[in-house]
Amino acid sequence: MPIFRPEDEARVRGLFDTLERPVELVVAHGPQETPVLGAREIDFAAETERVVTELAALSDRVTCRVENEPGAGGSAAGAASCRFERFPAIAVLPGGRDVGLRYYGLPWGYELGSLIGAVVEAGRPESTLRPESLERLGALDHDLAIDVFVTPT
Amino acid sequence: MLLAYRAALASPRVTAAAIEASEFPALADSMDVWAVPRVVVNGVPQFDGALPEQAFLDRVLAPAYG
Repeated sequence: MPIFRPEDEARVRGLFDTLERPVELVVAHGPQETPVLGAREIDFAAETERVVTELAALSDRVTCRVENEPGAGGSAAGAASCRFERFPAIAVLPGGRDVGLRYYGLPWGYELGSLIGAVVEAGRPESTLRPESLERLGALDHDLAIDVFVTPT
Repeated sequence: MLLAYRAALASPRVTAAAIEASEFPALADSMDVWAVPRVVVNGVPQFDGALPEQAFLDRVLAPAYG
């Protein structure tokens, strides 16, 4: 079953048409935590790869590659090496560069929109944050890891 | 979630990750995730819910400045 209804697919294609630079999506597979009861019959890794592959197929500016056990065998020649803390994982690379954007788990339901939004943001050379926000972030002298726990509905 | 991604795109100091809570229940339990979105900064839970840009930065930057 395709991940999008035809009308939704057209909308996502339209969003991806606005990308001003290429965006690479890296799907990483590795050891998975046991999910909550009732979710065991879902192959989260396979579904994550399917969703990302179908997303990338909607635009020439979005590409996808899959890494199995990253860190064990290394990345393909010339590919950015990404670090992942859990699996399945998705890295969003603006212009092929790893700037620390991750999605851990299967992006489905409402959260598929978060991944699409990440691609759209990564495809913009200029930030959409307000100038005062950029100034505050520019003054940071500590590293900041922001984790946002989400659910698919 | 998008504000976190925008912050990561804007600053080399910032990384941003969405974590699907039901697929990582042990981690979600350790972060006392009862409501979503729950925002955790440098491993410390900060707040629940979506906030506008200025308030979001107020909350996520607060730990960095002590």
